[in-house]
Amino acid sequence: MSKKPQSQYCMDAKKSMDSPRLQASLHSLQNRFGKGAMALWAEMDDQDMRRRVKKSRMKNLEYLDILLAELAKNVRTRGGHVHFAETAQDAIDYTLDVARKNEVKRVVKGKSMLSMEIAIDPALQEAGIEVVETDLGEYIIQLAGDKPSHIIAPCIHMDRSRIGELFAEKLGIDYTDDPPSLTAAARKALREKLLSADMGLTGCNLACAATGHISLVSNEGNIRMSTTMPPVHVALMGMERIVATLDEHRETVQLLTRGAALQKLSTYVSFVGGPSSDDDPDGSKEFHLVIIDNGRSKILADPEFREVLACIRCGACLNICPVYGRIGGHAYNSPYCGPIGAVVTPLLDGINKHADLCKGETLCGACKDICPVQIDLPRMLAALRQKLAYGSDRWNTRQHNPLEVYAFTLWRLIVCWSPLYRTGLKIARLCQRPFVEKNRMIKRMAGVASGWTDGRDLPPIAKKTFDEIWQEKHATPLPKLPVATKEDNNA
Amino acid sequence: MHKQTTFLANVRTALGEAPQVERSKSTFPRLFAAPDTTETLKKICGRTVTELNELVTIFLHNGNMLNISSHIAESLHEAADVVVELIRTKEPEFNYVKHVIMHDHPDIAALELWNRFNREAVTLHTTFSRDRQITDKTIASFIGITAPTIGVADSATVIQLTEPGRPRSTSLLPSLHIALLRRENIVADLAEAYALLRQKSYLDSLVFISGPSKTADIEAHMVYGAHGPRELHLIVLAEPVTER
Repeated sequence: MSKKPQSQYCMDAKKSMDSPRLQASLHSLQNRFGKGAMALWAEMDDQDMRRRVKKSRMKNLEYLDILLAELAKNVRTRGGHVHFAETAQDAIDYTLDVARKNEVKRVVKGKSMLSMEIAIDPALQEAGIEVVETDLGEYIIQLAGDKPSHIIAPCIHMDRSRIGELFAEKLGIDYTDDPPSLTAAARKALREKLLSADMGLTGCNLACAATGHISLVSNEGNIRMSTTMPPVHVALMGMERIVATLDEHRETVQLLTRGAALQKLSTYVSFVGGPSSDDDPDGSKEFHLVIIDNGRSKILADPEFREVLACIRCGACLNICPVYGRIGGHAYNSPYCGPIGAVVTPLLDGINKHADLCKGETLCGACKDICPVQIDLPRMLAALRQKLAYGSDRWNTRQHNPLEVYAFTLWRLIVCWSPLYRTGLKIARLCQRPFVEKNRMIKRMAGVASGWTDGRDLPPIAKKTFDEIWQEKHATPLPKLPVATKEDNNA
Repeated sequence: MHKQTTFLANVRTALGEAPQVERSKSTFPRLFAAPDTTETLKKICGRTVTELNELVTIFLHNGNMLNISSHIAESLHEAADVVVELIRTKEPEFNYVKHVIMHDHPDIAALELWNRFNREAVTLHTTFSRDRQITDKTIASFIGITAPTIGVADSATVIQLTEPGRPRSTSLLPSLHIALLRRENIVADLAEAYALLRQKSYLDSLVFISGPSKTADIEAHMVYGAHGPRELHLIVLAEPVTER
């Protein structure tokens, strides 16, 4: 029997579910960080903080043009360059231009999802520039030619023996699967790269408009290295990653590090606002801030989805999502995975193209509960599905499956007319007979319905409906229930 | 600038504003309004020694959980003893010579470390801003000594401002970072620390440091010393005070 071809999403998801190693890692990750974050929010003294930060995030979006202009002004005052890039290509061209002018041969990168979104690595490599990831997880991924599968734990899908073999092959060290030894080997190899790089390329966790700084969080110190040692620093910033004042920064950055890894603060929080002064022996001598739109203004314009720009990219939603917890990050086929990825990827890269992501999540609401800024992802997932069901000119989305519309129209007809519904039920009972197994369960269904029984057995349709049973057992009309009176309540 | 104009016009269109009319921050004074911190600053300045000692206790407790090794010194001489002991007992990671790099700071100069090593081969460097070889000296050093401006008890954080003679790499490249922090520079939480930062008329780059460099990227196994220092030693300088 020929099966209909499965989507990449389904195949990648299945691959993850078949890997016991990955399932165990995802389970322990969610157990620790997902549950941990929920406990943290419940215990937090300042219960109003999350609501307050969300409010300030939404307010800042409303005045985004003013904040960005202020940030640019303040960075320029310090002698930094600010470039506004409407598209990914624009950002790439600018960065390449800076690299060319400075005769850059090696770029060291601090972990940045935006750099993946705009696919800057291939462009740099094509220009003959060596690109080195410096976050340990990202470095391992790069050596393996793989893709990251978690926002803060990029190589969660690889075990230590695999990493050991990889290091033995690529770094020429003796095989070991001891994490401290492997880390030490990477430390040594990357230190050389970091100290000899011509350019540091980082993202931006949160910019502060009032002081004109970008801030970056890291535990390893690779971001500090990338921003301090190379003579040129280019920071890529999504245009929504900005707060107005230092006070907003303080609260937002704490929610970021708590949501990400249950830390009051990450080991390092670096603020950079321009090139280093002339008598400073280190720090970059050229600082370029590239502020990127790449589809964000379209999201900003739609009140239905603007809320997703309040995201601070902590990755907490990945740590609780039952779908991510099973299928892992690769199935999302995007730099942004998990529930946030399921909303932001279609919006940035095409709803039809990423229809599987919108439909793959369960709408259970856990991501909303854990989100430090309480973003209503389930609502937006439902809205995306609505776009897929009916099409949308604004989002240039066509009806995902016109057949579905016919099927549901038919279904509405049937359920609205009870004789038809009852007749249908009877026919279905007859049809299901050959499929009911000895244990009174349906193991396999035919045709398009087979997907329902791939991973589980279904109970057959009952012989009698609830209504029929009720009619049989309680055929006489019920006596009227006594009406509760005030005295009864007080008794 | 042309790019900026069209970019911001796009943003304004998205927000339903007139795209060509630039909005000025002066029209929205509340946007950049910061809460009044006079009370907070007064509180920080008015702390008694007992209160400061409590903050030290909290700092050390929280720091302990972040793998910060802490020492309390009652005098600069005692602080120097701690530093000397560390220099003597720790071994260089990237070469075989004991170089130590220190910020150009009066408290660090007052340790008089130059006077302490008569028999061992220890080379001491200071990051004077006119020295052109600081980067090479820092790379060669296995210990970096700084005197952070602010300490935050609640998150066990030291705040290191970049200033002339106090570059960023001193607390980053060496395998060991020693932070010499005066007790009176410790504040309770980040809210107080940010209030102090806002006092500064000019802020260059700065960094919050809460512990040694670490990673858990390989099977969530915690390892200290990923790219930055693998050990952070905090010396709280708590000189006895008679009055106050």
